[in-house]
Amino acid sequence: MPIHEKSLIRPENLLTHENLEIEGIDVSGHWSTFIESRVVTDYNEALEDEIAALPGGENIHRCWQCGSCTNACTVNALNPDFNPRFWIYLVRMGMEQELLRDKDIIWQCVSCHKCTYVCPRDVVPEGVMKATAHWLELKGHRPKSPSMLFDEVFSEQVFATGKIEEGRTLRGFFQRTGQSLTQDWLVEMIKRLLRHLPVKLMIILGLANVIRPRTRGWAGARAAIEEYVEEQETRQRQALGLDRPPATGAERPLAEAAE
Amino acid sequence: MNKPVLILGGGPAGLTAAHALASIGQKSVLVEKEDRLGGAPILSGYARLVPSREWAKDAIGGMVERVAGNGLVDVRTSMTVKEFSGEPGNFTAKLADDSTIEAGAAVLCTGFTHFDSVSKPEWGFGTYPDVVTTTQVEQMFSSGQGVRCPSDGRKPKRVAILLCVGSRDRQIGREWCSKVCCTVSCNIAMEIREELPDCHVYIYYMDIRTFGLYEDLYYWKSQEEFKVKYIKARIAEVTSDGEKLIVKGEDTLVKRPITIPFDLVVHAIGMDPNVDNMLLSSIFGVELQKHGHIARASTYSAMGATSRPGVFVAGAATGPETIDDSIAQGQGAAMAALAGAPAVKAAAE
Repeated sequence: MPIHEKSLIRPENLLTHENLEIEGIDVSGHWSTFIESRVVTDYNEALEDEIAALPGGENIHRCWQCGSCTNACTVNALNPDFNPRFWIYLVRMGMEQELLRDKDIIWQCVSCHKCTYVCPRDVVPEGVMKATAHWLELKGHRPKSPSMLFDEVFSEQVFATGKIEEGRTLRGFFQRTGQSLTQDWLVEMIKRLLRHLPVKLMIILGLANVIRPRTRGWAGARAAIEEYVEEQETRQRQALGLDRPPATGAERPLAEAAE
Repeated sequence: MNKPVLILGGGPAGLTAAHALASIGQKSVLVEKEDRLGGAPILSGYARLVPSREWAKDAIGGMVERVAGNGLVDVRTSMTVKEFSGEPGNFTAKLADDSTIEAGAAVLCTGFTHFDSVSKPEWGFGTYPDVVTTTQVEQMFSSGQGVRCPSDGRKPKRVAILLCVGSRDRQIGREWCSKVCCTVSCNIAMEIREELPDCHVYIYYMDIRTFGLYEDLYYWKSQEEFKVKYIKARIAEVTSDGEKLIVKGEDTLVKRPITIPFDLVVHAIGMDPNVDNMLLSSIFGVELQKHGHIARASTYSAMGATSRPGVFVAGAATGPETIDDSIAQGQGAAMAALAGAPAVKAAAE
């Protein structure tokens, strides 16, 4: 039997015919309104396995829907639509379309880990949120988030040299997120820095940018890390049924991401 | 007591009472209506028991052996009592074959009857061959066959277990919780996942009542180690599209109607009062409580006492009961029969 609770009726599920006549009776407009069924007709067991294959999602199958995570959630306090308990359920039952309705807010988790501490079953909901956000990106439902782009710039640099050069990280991040290098706050910061004439710092920064020093004996570590990362990414792509590697960074426009 | 104790019913409670009495030198007569001892776990072909995971035929079989081979226990199978009269310490029972037994006391260990799922036709039992009961799944395991769809013998890919079939349902006059079905269902779900790792198992529940230590050993374990899924929904009906069974209901957590295809639907059937309870009540002169189980005279002061002095009760005859609690009650009732009968008689004189 259909469930008609007004709050559950979605505008896209309302069907109305502008001109409709049934057995000689004009039922145009709202007289012909139908509410499309919201019936769940199947479970998709693959979805839970996909999320569980991504880092953080491993314990999703433990959830018994008590709602402690949502109760504790920092973001939920500001946005009642941010509901980890609900999304965990949608993933577990494979209600993918329902999950995608919230694709633009799932990534907003601030990783405060309050849910991790209250969860009686050690589901680690924060990890599940991270895995779900990652899943949305890998599947192309969302463009890469700024934090993902930052992580990429950061780790690419570490993988290459074993070191971090902040100026380079910042430039890379701004470039990939399409931000200007002459932002007011950055210009102001550099101006104030220059007032002190930090000659030694400028020499170090300058040299680091020209020479790009590496950690001694980094080649071996780099090979091991790259092998591991490749292995993990291949495993994740396989688990998600993706046969080609995801496009990187900002080169991937939103329109293509949504294909 | 010189006279034997009459024990009615050879299940876990009755076997325990007979063994307990024999172990302190007391004779008993064990009357069993079926042709063999063991009660529901043996007669219904249960597989591995909760919580020991021992096979029923080994665990209960051992209890049968130590009673059947005991000279102090007079076992009468395929036998019933048709008349019962007398006072505590001096009862006379007339059996179906017209023989009589002089007994000092009687212990009713008459157990329960499995709920008949035909009484809930909307859930498809009796209409579709692939709708089965927990008892049938137990038999699939205990026979060594494994879980298969009865219609064509295929291995199911998706199984639904419906809880509270014949329990907690005013529509059919079953207002009690049958106590064991949640734990049994968790156990069955794990066994299915163990035998068929590609088969997904869904349990539809109103509440999960895996009480006490069964919580983590069954409910948690089934979720955490065996990935059994639990959905809070009382199923409205089970139909078929010609190929699969269609389970309809409301998923209360997402407030949406569901119509999900399944290969096999399992009814977690409850424990009814024994169908013979009205007869037993009139023969033994004991009162029944409101649900039709044999009424206990006291909760705290007298173990296993019924409304009639000298007649005691143990196990699932009093209401839905686990095997281990039935065993404890069988021992308690044996003690009460031994100690209580002469004392009650002395007080009466």
